[in-house]
Amino acid sequence: MNEGPLIVQSDKTLLLEVDHELASDCRKAIAPFAELERSPEHIHTYRLTPLGLWNARAAGHDAEQVVNVLLSFSRYAVPHALLVDVAETMARYGRLRLDKHPVHGLVLSSTDRAVFEEVLRSKKVAGMIGDRLDPDNVAVHPSQRGNLKQALLKLGWPAEDFAGYVDGEAHKIELEQDGWTLRPDQQEAADSFWHGGSGVVVLPCGAGKTIVGAAAMARAGATTLILVTNTVSARQWKAELIKRTSLTEDEIGEYSGARKEVRPVTIATYQVLTMRRKGLYPHLELLDARDWGLIVYDEVHLLPAPIFRMTANLQARRRIGLTATLVREDGREGDVFSLIGPKRYDAPWKDIEGQGWIAPADCVEVRVTLPEGERIAYATAEPEERYRLASCTYAKTLVAEKLVAQHRGEPTLVIGQYLEQLDELAEHLDAPVIKGETTVKERERLYAVFRTGEIQLLVVSKVANFSIDLPEAAVAIQVSGSFGSRQEEAQRLGRLLRPKADGKTARFYTVVSRDTVDADFAQNRQRFLAEQGYAYRIVDAGDL
Amino acid sequence: MPTATPRTLAEQLRDWPDERLATLLAERPDLATPAPHDSSQLAARVVVKASVLRALDLLDSLELAVLQALVQGADPAEVVSASQPAVRRAEERLAALALVWGTPARPVLVVGDLLRMPEGLPVAEAAGLLEGLAPQGRAILDHLEEQRADGRWGGAAGPTADLVATGLLVRRDDHHVTIPWNVRLALHGDRSTVEVEQAPELAVAERAQSLVDRAAAGAAFEFVRRTELLLDRWSTHPPPALKGGGLGVRELRVAAQLLHVEIGVAALVIETASAAGLLAQGMTDEPEAAWLPTETYDVWQTGSTAHRWVALARAWLTNPRLASAVGGRIGDKPVNALSPDLERSWLVALRADALSALDELGEGQSLAAGTGIPSLVERLRWRRPRRPAARLKQVVPLLGEAALLGVSGLDAVSGFGRDLVEGRDPVNALAGLLPTPVDHVLLQADLTAIAPGPLEQELARRLALVADVESRGGATVYRFASTSVRRAFDAGWSAAEVHEFVAETSRTPVPQSLSYLIDDVSRRFGTLRVGHADSFLRSDDETALTELLHAPGADTLRLRRIAPTVLVSDLALGVLLPRIRELGLAPVVEAADGTVRVARPDVFRARSLRRRTTAATQVRTAAHTAAVVTAIRAGDRTSSARPSRGRSVSTPADVIALLREAAEAGGSLVIGYVGNDGTVVERTVEPQRVEGGQVTAYDARSDGTRSFAIHRITAVSRPDANPNQDSEKS
Repeated sequence: MNEGPLIVQSDKTLLLEVDHELASDCRKAIAPFAELERSPEHIHTYRLTPLGLWNARAAGHDAEQVVNVLLSFSRYAVPHALLVDVAETMARYGRLRLDKHPVHGLVLSSTDRAVFEEVLRSKKVAGMIGDRLDPDNVAVHPSQRGNLKQALLKLGWPAEDFAGYVDGEAHKIELEQDGWTLRPDQQEAADSFWHGGSGVVVLPCGAGKTIVGAAAMARAGATTLILVTNTVSARQWKAELIKRTSLTEDEIGEYSGARKEVRPVTIATYQVLTMRRKGLYPHLELLDARDWGLIVYDEVHLLPAPIFRMTANLQARRRIGLTATLVREDGREGDVFSLIGPKRYDAPWKDIEGQGWIAPADCVEVRVTLPEGERIAYATAEPEERYRLASCTYAKTLVAEKLVAQHRGEPTLVIGQYLEQLDELAEHLDAPVIKGETTVKERERLYAVFRTGEIQLLVVSKVANFSIDLPEAAVAIQVSGSFGSRQEEAQRLGRLLRPKADGKTARFYTVVSRDTVDADFAQNRQRFLAEQGYAYRIVDAGDL
Repeated sequence: MPTATPRTLAEQLRDWPDERLATLLAERPDLATPAPHDSSQLAARVVVKASVLRALDLLDSLELAVLQALVQGADPAEVVSASQPAVRRAEERLAALALVWGTPARPVLVVGDLLRMPEGLPVAEAAGLLEGLAPQGRAILDHLEEQRADGRWGGAAGPTADLVATGLLVRRDDHHVTIPWNVRLALHGDRSTVEVEQAPELAVAERAQSLVDRAAAGAAFEFVRRTELLLDRWSTHPPPALKGGGLGVRELRVAAQLLHVEIGVAALVIETASAAGLLAQGMTDEPEAAWLPTETYDVWQTGSTAHRWVALARAWLTNPRLASAVGGRIGDKPVNALSPDLERSWLVALRADALSALDELGEGQSLAAGTGIPSLVERLRWRRPRRPAARLKQVVPLLGEAALLGVSGLDAVSGFGRDLVEGRDPVNALAGLLPTPVDHVLLQADLTAIAPGPLEQELARRLALVADVESRGGATVYRFASTSVRRAFDAGWSAAEVHEFVAETSRTPVPQSLSYLIDDVSRRFGTLRVGHADSFLRSDDETALTELLHAPGADTLRLRRIAPTVLVSDLALGVLLPRIRELGLAPVVEAADGTVRVARPDVFRARSLRRRTTAATQVRTAAHTAAVVTAIRAGDRTSSARPSRGRSVSTPADVIALLREAAEAGGSLVIGYVGNDGTVVERTVEPQRVEGGQVTAYDARSDGTRSFAIHRITAVSRPDANPNQDSEKS
């Protein structure tokens, strides 16, 4: 019997034994076509999905290679049906292709006439195509390029897009590596994006996604539109770009609720683009305001549905998506694939941590017991009230107080969901609080003094979940969250993962009420991180 | 062979040595059942048409050609396209099968009847005609010759009619035409066939035997695993059996989903399990029959994977059921798995032939991609030319089944598959190829446990209790969840046992999150207790309850204290209450909603029975109670009162009129009444009321008032004036 590190399951999961001597070779071999699903301590689980296999085809791998990799690393016999399925799935990609045409603009063609007929007869596709040029070619209206790709993916016949990209208006952007250098993984991420043309780069929070974005912009050397989640994040992007590239303050515009500047590099928030007035999106024309050469989507896993629709019209422009997790709670990973592009780069968090590029983190779940009185209140509460009651117990405030005292001297964030709880905490801990109603100016001021170390403690609501760069934060205490959201948990941990100057381990505490829905949700929230190898330690509040 | 020429077939058989006779009976087993008395009887059986037909089906193309030549009275050595020794061997085999006998060999008569072709025009003439033949006609002849079949013809003009007219085809009956013998000879240049000496070559490719064995062992392992998975599932969730005996399409689809396979594969698993006796119809608590694993399954399960595979593979080898038809349609009827109409008597022989043809591949050889299987089909066609060609369509699905079972792999026979086909024991060869069972799992902090190979059975069973299976295959991924841990507690495990079990089976340290999960579940497990009691006693005065518990005679009350202020008893309230009162206590009864019921003296009431008040009951009661005499006398009266001259009416309007009249006037009538049993009875009645289609009347026969349905009254007449009537009326 072969002694390979890989076990191929009949349900298309691949189990990789991490401690095996061939494990790292095997990981490299399967990474192009298999999606890493979980990476806990001993056995990593990959999954073969049509998307993953098509990603591999897009990157130039063929079924023969995939089958060969599976056979050569597999410990046991590989289920025959699975091999057949791999070959069949991969053969589906590229039977249809989109090309530029000098007369008709865009043409969908096929080498397989049966498939072509099947696709053209589909109702979903019917409205997007124009005249049949000959039996194997049909004209496509350029504006339908994205929609068509999306529809074809749903039909299971993804089209290979050879129509290329417009160069956009040239604008010189260079990385200025003084005092820092582009890390090899960042370089690789930017390169694989560029070779693919469009796509998504998956890197953990704190691993420098902004820098990958900047590197991509430097490669493009063209005017760039950057879409980010909120205004604070927009300003951070701006500051970072000024610091890392040859761009100057005047070249970068902010397009948000507060300001509407259109400059060679424009940073816009999702919110302003998706703002509706009388059923129209008045700010959508920003997308056509300049001849953009590159569009950067920050936190692509949060991309709202209207932006997807807009993106469908932007298929001629290069697009890069940046994210820490491709987990979308709404399951629209397929839309990301067809509209932004295939995944171009991915690395397990623990690997990056092992390289020292993100700080190691210690995750601790602190269990508190509801006081008797609250237990009764909880037991008799309406189901929809229970989570709030369990989340906001006073016992958590006491634990937070204790933890803050323990970590005095280390920059600490207390993160919560419910405003009254945050206010109570702020009062108890005598710390400033940032929540939705806090003005942008005030927020920036508070972040700034936190960065400089003037204050060591901030109480924040979910407004600080994403894209807030607080490199020094070393301790986070999460007292409540939005139900079972896995990506929120990952994002919050991400706040701590910037490598620390002294290489210290970050601490992530999540305070959970025992025997309540809070504990159930916590388990769901932790699942993504546990699968990324972040094992939670459980501590009783009394043992702190 | 004996030197003397035998006079009869019986004589020849009598002279045969024993082993030769044994060979004959082995090849033609139908001759031996029941055992013939003597050679004469055997000889008589040998020439029976049904038996001969079977024997003919055993012949290969060469033997058939030789026999055909003998039938036509030609010398096989001259007309059959094969070498002399080959022809001689074929003749010997024909003799061994007793299809020909005597010296020189001649076919038994019935063979001649079955095979003889019309002679047709002379060969030379036929050859001449063939030369000048139009391509269309030639194509028809070539096709018929190649297929060795008769052509259908309706008599219409056309190329076939032309061929018949020239004599190149001969009409066999009204609808069929056939090629005559001489035309056949002319077609092949004085030979009766194309070259038939050698079986067609198989198209082969090189393939390392180790790869074949590995792939096949993987398939074998999967097949056993799937069978077990499915039957385990069906142990607890048995699918209902259809009325016709099969398994519903939906159930099959569910099974396929469970196994992560296509419908056809699931059908094969199910059919093979059934053939191996692991699955049968049985009864559950539901009223309908269901498909259940059998007791044999329990025994089967305890064997090693290799043993289990052998049981399945042997069952498959001899399974006459056409599993590949499941999911399709025969006619316009969908074919269900396990349905009784899937048996094909010829399937076992075809499977054996296909496998033996595959078995002829050497070590390191496999069927070539694309051309391999057609070449195998050709070889089978040569070997069994008389079998209906349509059956050969089943060769492809049969080979697919062989691959799924692991008898073959990568289009070649596996080592252990060869053992199976050739009748040796494949267990050892297979066991060496299967993954060795592991006795440990790897526990991880995301609450999964991974068994990096097939688990030992007992361990797998226990682990499946504590954790849910998430993914199967060579390895198994288990996930611990609060529900799964609770399941173990429900099955009687203690928290300590669960802890000990996971620590014991894990090769890695038990993650803290798992320990906490087990403790969390155990803490909540049993917080609520559910039990059964027929009555309860509660009191705010705890001492009063203690007193009651210890009162003399209280042990008969079967009281149990479940809280300081609550006692329960499994005696019903009606029994308990008086006994407590006997003890001198004064309990108050609580209603179901918690309110107190006011005490009052016990008044007993029987539950009122609903009485049937229909006429039938009355009649029955009357029949039970009234004296038989009364009935007899009433009968007498009826007969004596039979109206001899009185006006009898039978139309509905008249009947109602007369009844009304009698009811008004008082007086009796004789009616013809259709009873429940359909017979018409005459009765003397005194109508009292006529309404709603009913007549209420005094019936003298049953001595009571009853109703009669008017539509059942066939006729009414006035009785003759009779002195008795007046006296009866009083």
